[in-house]
Amino acid sequence: MADTLFNFTNLGINLKKIIASGWTNFQRNSYLSFGATGIMALALILFLALLSVQFLTSQAVVTLRDKVDISAYLTTDATEEQALRIKSDLVSLSEVYDVTYVSKDQALQDFKSRHTNDTLIQESLAQLDSNPLSASLNIKAHNSGQYASIAQFLEKSPLRGVIDKINFYENKGVIERIESISNGVKSWGLGAALVLAAIAVLVTFNTVRLTIYNQRQEIEIMRLVGASNWHIRGPYLTEGGLYGLFASVIALAVFYPSIYLVSDKVAAFVPTVDLFDYFFTGLPQVVLMVAFLGIILGMASSTIAIRKHLKV
Amino acid sequence: MIQLHKVKKIYPPHTVVLDNVDLEIGPGEFVSLVGLSGAGKSTLLKMLTREERPNSGKVMIEGVDLADIDDNDVPLLRRKIGTVYQDFKLLSRKTAYENVAFAMEVTGANQEDIEKDVPQVLSIVGLGHKLEFFPDEMSGGEKQRLAIARSMIHRPKILLADEPTGNLDLVNSYDVVKLLQKINELGTTVILATHDMNIVNRVGKRVISMDKGKIVRDQTHNGRYVI
Repeated sequence: MADTLFNFTNLGINLKKIIASGWTNFQRNSYLSFGATGIMALALILFLALLSVQFLTSQAVVTLRDKVDISAYLTTDATEEQALRIKSDLVSLSEVYDVTYVSKDQALQDFKSRHTNDTLIQESLAQLDSNPLSASLNIKAHNSGQYASIAQFLEKSPLRGVIDKINFYENKGVIERIESISNGVKSWGLGAALVLAAIAVLVTFNTVRLTIYNQRQEIEIMRLVGASNWHIRGPYLTEGGLYGLFASVIALAVFYPSIYLVSDKVAAFVPTVDLFDYFFTGLPQVVLMVAFLGIILGMASSTIAIRKHLKV
Repeated sequence: MIQLHKVKKIYPPHTVVLDNVDLEIGPGEFVSLVGLSGAGKSTLLKMLTREERPNSGKVMIEGVDLADIDDNDVPLLRRKIGTVYQDFKLLSRKTAYENVAFAMEVTGANQEDIEKDVPQVLSIVGLGHKLEFFPDEMSGGEKQRLAIARSMIHRPKILLADEPTGNLDLVNSYDVVKLLQKINELGTTVILATHDMNIVNRVGKRVISMDKGKIVRDQTHNGRYVI
């Protein structure tokens, strides 16, 4: 008899029934389900909005960075050979992304074509016997923080004598500002994302907790008739997951049309960025990620909320 | 079958609800547990389902110390013990059929057995015609009979009834007690905690009187209601 009383082999967990029961609960609690789903949808929309802002600022910074470089202007008596020596020295630096050599002739050519409509400049140039412009090296770094060390490298170069001036010092302000904006966006964005995520989890958790608190007597009865913890928890986890799933559907249904509407305005502001295109090509990933986040959020909230009701 | 050895239960800070209780109940007994409210009857029953644990002493069922059962295995203990309460403890959003079926589902019983056993046990308690009724659509007596049906579905060795007639009128109370006696005749050990004198005297079997957490009298045969 003892072994029939304590035959602990079968806790009788039937996954299909448990999930079906979670679905039934979801339908029967429609009022509370609506609340929890709405809150989670808001949280997910916030998350998506944050994602767009993050994308926009990073794109803007990239665009700006592309426009920043430093140039080393060579003295007029520098030979092309010396210029190319400096160039190859620079290329060997790990910070340097690209170096373009602009010869004296090239510089003149560029200058002329830039000012084709300015007759005064054209005439003055025509009166000169020699080319007044100097050759230069345009240097791009991998990131804007590295320009200072590149400038320093040039300062110490054995060919420093043929370098007339390094315009880093003129661009320094701009470069540093971009740098600080980019860092600010990164850290503030991360901070904001964390705070929002915390709020979303807390609010969702509280909503689910209220739902479960309403049914505490039912949970007690389930325990008394010998339902295992998984048997009790299962339907609530399913229910939480369903809140998350529906919330993600709502969030996406709100987000995509909004992005579509906003996209044109953003393009006017940062022309290189196509917000809608970015999110549209990433559609499968975004959908999967949001659905996954929603489901995890719902299930995690349920798990925490139900824990204290499961004490034996 | 059921043994309590020097069981002591104190609710903080220092309310003694069970005070060195020694008790032995054999298989197939029908025991009435009487005493005023707060005498410790309910706590004693809760010790057997491990809803409560003693501060000291031992509670054993079939030679197994309940303190040795892992938390995860407590549901299995509870499936072996039927319980009936004054407030019925029915799932209000499930029908009569679903209430009983749920107790079977949690054990992993297959659908076929559920469909066979549930109507059978409901007709034993006289609810064969109310399978699809919700608890709120039933009378107190019917609710309690439904609760008994649920407690019987696992064919438990032990049935604990905590004031099962507390909310019922005389006629319904007798029906419920008759049902408990019938279950007892089929071999289940029944422990009935009550302060209904008429019922105790009518059953007339072993009567244990409790007062302030102690067993003050144990009439093993043909007992009468004495506090």
